[in-house]
Amino acid sequence: MFEIHDLHKHFGSLHVLKGITCGIAKGQVVVIIGPSGSGKSTFLRCLNLLEKPTGGTIYVDGVNITDPKTDIRRVRENVGMVFQRFNLFPHMTALDNVAFAPLRVLHLSKDEARERALDLLVKVGLGDKADSYPDQLSGGQQQRVAIARALAMRPKAMLFDEPTSALDPEMIGEVLEVMKALAEEGMTMVVVTHEMGFAREVGDLVLFMDDGIIVEQAPPEIMFNCPSHERTKAFLSKIL
Amino acid sequence: MTFRWDILFRSLPYLWEGAQMTIRLTTTAVGIGFVIGTLLGMARICQYKPLRTLAAVYIDFIRGTPLLVQIFLVYMGLPQLLSFPMPRLTAAILALSLNSGAYVAEIVRAGIQSIDLGQTEAALSLGCSNAQVMRYIILPQAFKRIIPPLGNEFIAMLKDSSLVSVIALEELVRRANIVITRTYRPFEIWLGVAFMYLIMTIAISRLVAYMERKLKVDV
Ligand SMILES: Nc1ncnc2c1ncn2[C@@H]1O[C@H](COP(=O)(O)OP(=O)(O)OP(=O)(O)O)[C@@H](O)[C@H]1O
Ligand SMILES: [Mg+2]
Repeated sequence: MFEIHDLHKHFGSLHVLKGITCGIAKGQVVVIIGPSGSGKSTFLRCLNLLEKPTGGTIYVDGVNITDPKTDIRRVRENVGMVFQRFNLFPHMTALDNVAFAPLRVLHLSKDEARERALDLLVKVGLGDKADSYPDQLSGGQQQRVAIARALAMRPKAMLFDEPTSALDPEMIGEVLEVMKALAEEGMTMVVVTHEMGFAREVGDLVLFMDDGIIVEQAPPEIMFNCPSHERTKAFLSKIL
Repeated sequence: MTFRWDILFRSLPYLWEGAQMTIRLTTTAVGIGFVIGTLLGMARICQYKPLRTLAAVYIDFIRGTPLLVQIFLVYMGLPQLLSFPMPRLTAAILALSLNSGAYVAEIVRAGIQSIDLGQTEAALSLGCSNAQVMRYIILPQAFKRIIPPLGNEFIAMLKDSSLVSVIALEELVRRANIVITRTYRPFEIWLGVAFMYLIMTIAISRLVAYMERKLKVDV
């Protein structure tokens, strides 16, 4: 699904991603962990070109998205993203948030878009909140709407950037449940998170990033029980 | 020295017609200014550098020169340049609209820039084009936010529109001058005119406050 080769990203003189190479297969759930500032978000945002890489190549489903000739919008239609701070559109109801992209990007009819949106809201357990505005919803509910919004494009892969970090502890579970269900359906997912329970239970592969590189990658049981690098051990001992 | 209420009252209908012209002028100018300002405000922050510079130069020119000079430029300068006659009303509306556009542009720009970048990113990540992001996500939110400063611009324009009296357009101030040359009662008339402006500006701020409340409810 994703083939990343020698990916670099500079912000001016700041070298944030220093050559990342990895592959993510269809249906795989990849969890990215690492200290703050290590470049996790930047890496994730390169995968749908919200950040423009300054070097290297990324293939998404066989398409070279770092080729300037590639239509970025096509790529983004196929790769959904969920943000730490939800970023729901505050001037639209939950239903309109979810129906927005099918209506405006896929040009479905109003009825089709709303039907698809309602189905997705039901799926994330918010069928009864269709007419609520984002500020009338709890953080956990907002994030579930945001997931539904991304799913409304029927993407081939989903990116999650610390989807539960802005949530009160009691709401984290409901969001992780939705993500878990998604993983079980076979969705390809790349998840930056500090939820090690989720990583263990749902993750197929864990990437440990530090200082702009992938220091270590392994299945969760190996990563968490017998990491091979000192930096990984140091990081895990702090958070586990 | 007595305050001649009777003279003021007798002049009121005539002055009121002038006030109506003032209202029409202001509404039209801010209306057109809003369209110009929205386009300019977007141009001011677009990707295309020449357009950005052009917008900035226009805005600086308007904001850095007196409205009075702009009115003269439009009323007397343009006809000379293009050699066609410029009716007073057209000149007044044109000058005030061009002026308002520059101020509205800065309001719109600030409004657009006040919208969280996350909104743009979310919309882009769904596959939207930049134009769609602007139209469906940024502008609807920005317009709500700029209602109070737009109200202020409206009030400022209402007061500044009195300047077009210099090209003999019969709005409120011009008519006051005419009444005074007939009655020789400047104090009564100018005080009356001041109150008419005050009533209009208070009405506008009330309306703006009402709209603000109204729009907050459903957000
Ligand atoms: N738009 C930007 N301009 C300049 N520097 C940036 C920008 N975005 C990120 N950075 C820098 O890049 C580095 C990596 O940031 P990034 O957000 O990818 O880290 P992260 O691993 O996601 O951290 P966190 O766990 O805090 O979210 C940081 O030093 C950050 O300051
Ligand atoms: Mg981050």
